[in-house]
Amino acid sequence: MKLDIQGHSGCEIAIVHDDNGLQIHKSTYDPAYVSRLINQANKQIKASEIAYQNIRVPKVFEVVQNKADATIKMEYIYSKNFVEYFENAGFEQIKYLIGAIKYFIDLEINASEMQTVPANILTDKMADVARKVQKNAHLKDDIEALELVNSSQEIMNGVGDMVMPVGRCHGDLTFSNILFNGNNYYLIDFLDSFIESPLLDIVKIRQDTAYMWSTLMYHKPFDKVRLSIISARIDSAIDEYFTDKYKWYRQYYMPLQLMNFLRVLQYAHEEKVISYLKNVISGQLSFIKNTNH
Amino acid sequence: MMTLIVPIAADRADYVAKLPQPFRFDDEGTMYCVKAITGLPLNDFKDIYFVILRAHDNRFMLSEQLAMQFRKLKLTNAHVTILDEPTTSQAETVTRAIELNSIKGTIFIKDADCYFTADEIMPQNGVAIYALENLPVVDPQHKSYVSVDDMFYVTNIIEKRVVSHFFSAGGYCFQDAEVFCQYYNQLKDYSPLYLSHIIYAMLLDKQIFRPIEIDDYKDWGVINVNYQ
Repeated sequence: MKLDIQGHSGCEIAIVHDDNGLQIHKSTYDPAYVSRLINQANKQIKASEIAYQNIRVPKVFEVVQNKADATIKMEYIYSKNFVEYFENAGFEQIKYLIGAIKYFIDLEINASEMQTVPANILTDKMADVARKVQKNAHLKDDIEALELVNSSQEIMNGVGDMVMPVGRCHGDLTFSNILFNGNNYYLIDFLDSFIESPLLDIVKIRQDTAYMWSTLMYHKPFDKVRLSIISARIDSAIDEYFTDKYKWYRQYYMPLQLMNFLRVLQYAHEEKVISYLKNVISGQLSFIKNTNH
Repeated sequence: MMTLIVPIAADRADYVAKLPQPFRFDDEGTMYCVKAITGLPLNDFKDIYFVILRAHDNRFMLSEQLAMQFRKLKLTNAHVTILDEPTTSQAETVTRAIELNSIKGTIFIKDADCYFTADEIMPQNGVAIYALENLPVVDPQHKSYVSVDDMFYVTNIIEKRVVSHFFSAGGYCFQDAEVFCQYYNQLKDYSPLYLSHIIYAMLLDKQIFRPIEIDDYKDWGVINVNYQ
């Protein structure tokens, strides 16, 4: 059976039936990806030890690590993907989801410490993005993309040191990494982030609510209008909540969202994805310039 | 007093030569779009607007025919609103009618392609619902479905997905025409935009909708057509 939302990691996913029921085995046979998958497993194990009310984490039963391959054996969750969930969800279920997202991120914030993230973390990352874009065969001759990267570099150079909570984050908190099981939401595919801040989780979830990124990976027909209405409602609720509560969110959300999309752009190779990303990045740059962010 | 709006302003290529189904007559000589409202408590409505397209009116002399129908059924408060351009959604047709006629207060929108009876329509947000099991033959993919909780509050409405045994029977009540227009203007860039999308967006904003219970539902087999 083909998954409705395709991932990018290249990992193999197998559903295994043993005496204890179903398990998910996530494996990589790419030696370069082994350490990443192991980090993911460790992050997931740590996260599963904490209670987050409706937000849950599948239990990891075993991590098998070899030189050239690795496998995480974890709990199978009977669930729906976000499109299926949103297509059927009543308004009160959307309200629960909004509450759960706020609660989860607030817990992450409380478990983190306010720290100064030196300016060079962002500028070094930007320089790395610029190098990768130059090497990307689909982008290196794309004048528009190169100009967007140049403009972004100017923005990143102006951000300076950032004071924000650092300590805990999922690392890739998009809708495609949430399994929807009734009013329980299971987080999967934890990742190391270049800044381990809950702000990066807000950036990632708004990658979907504000920009509907994960729907680009969904290949079955769905009610786009309904999904757009729901996404916009979740987005405004999250944005209003964190805008009211945290100065660091107001200060650094936009440059970090810009960086988030630049990091997607650096590996992009599909024409429709590149076009979408250029459009989004261009809009973000205009917004930042117009609001003196 | 409420205002009743019957939107019939969609255009289709084959309407160049063919009379749109809602303007045809039944065996008793009543136009289907007029028959569509006859099961409603018409005394509850101050005005009734049938919203049609100028192109159709010119081609088929609809306003004259509708005026004859109004006289026949003694609908002294019924009017024809003519739109110069086709609309892209039923919600746009209704919004144009509200603007052109300066309609205020509660509106009830009735689809032209079906009939039902309702004893009472309260001037509050609501959706006419009917249970699937009451129909001898069901065409599930051309309906929208409505979930209600135990206390009869609407919790969900969705196009073409069977999330409930209640389907939307083609009658929608909006307590305030101005609020309806605000939501239409917020969502007008989405396509295809259905009234169910507007109701769902209002539900997400904590606006309350009640189901309107109806009887004797009849679909005239004009499925696949959105008359806007």
